[in-house]
Amino acid sequence: MARSFLFIPGNVPRMLQNMDVFEADAVIIDFEDSVSVSEKEDARLLTERFLSNHEVSVDVYIRINADKALMKADLNAIDSLPIAGIVLPKASPETLNVFEFLNENKPCHVIALIETPIAFFKFEEMATHACIKGFFLGGVDLMHALGGTLCSQSLLYPRSKLLMAARAHNLYAIDTPWTSTDEAALTRDAKEAAALGFDAKAAIHPNQVHPINQAFMPSQTRIEEAKRIVAMHEKNGSMRFSLDGQMIDKPVIEHAKTLLKKVRTYQSGGENDV
Amino acid sequence: MAKTITVGSLESSDCMITLKEGTGNVHIKSVVAAAFYDHIETLVRRVLKTHEVRNVDLTLEDRGALDYAIEARLIAAIKRYKGDANG
Repeated sequence: MARSFLFIPGNVPRMLQNMDVFEADAVIIDFEDSVSVSEKEDARLLTERFLSNHEVSVDVYIRINADKALMKADLNAIDSLPIAGIVLPKASPETLNVFEFLNENKPCHVIALIETPIAFFKFEEMATHACIKGFFLGGVDLMHALGGTLCSQSLLYPRSKLLMAARAHNLYAIDTPWTSTDEAALTRDAKEAAALGFDAKAAIHPNQVHPINQAFMPSQTRIEEAKRIVAMHEKNGSMRFSLDGQMIDKPVIEHAKTLLKKVRTYQSGGENDV
Repeated sequence: MAKTITVGSLESSDCMITLKEGTGNVHIKSVVAAAFYDHIETLVRRVLKTHEVRNVDLTLEDRGALDYAIEARLIAAIKRYKGDANG
């Protein structure tokens, strides 16, 4: 249950070995866009050597390459590493099928990066794949493909559609990274994603982690309200009651319980369930 | 012309390694040489031996890289030197 996923280039040792001091709930070691073709093998070797020899206190995902030959080399390099999952760029039902050939004895968790227009018409096929754990909106590449610019308005439809697909299949939903260095704009954007219902947002710089964590942390008012709802439900055993003039029923109680579970997770430093 | 391969960077916590045809010389320049020269030399000689690399001279310019980074950069250099790096 992560709020923030911080991208770290796989070929930069000082970022790799500091991955658990940035306060991100999860990190994504990148083998794709932030690593030049000439450094791909270096990134694999650095990541493999680091994760094989050092324990880390943060959930680690690896973004592999979309190119078939590079993807195969990536998967071979990370096969035995203690990672939480794989981020699959340019995800499609066809690319997801690659994971059927992986070791059946090892759980395979894939977060599908949705960054092409065609992927928005393939959610059903992808969501039912055995390895799929969540959908992750890749807004920058998507806007490039659409000819648009990354802003609240242009993101509303992709965000809504992705979120709906994720929720329909009980999958995790991760929002696109914000590319501006304007922290106030990032905070606004992260709060919009959280208000829509996203579970988390990606960060492309350590400075973005704290604003994202804050945006996805429920307010003290909402926490107190949830505590009172759950307390009253547990006291009366009732699934339907009134609190401060508001009618409370099963969905509201379940929502309050989920919110409190998230808060406990965030305050305890996270757990390994995405 | 003799092949020369350079990998890595001079950023903090990283190192730059150059391999070229030679006689097995190892030259190390490190910001932590006073304390770790012998350790780094043992490490690079072990990796060279493991990968059966002979007849090369190695130059390592270290910016405080940990063992895993030196080892990874050296293996990358060896693969490239041998011509079998995969993308």
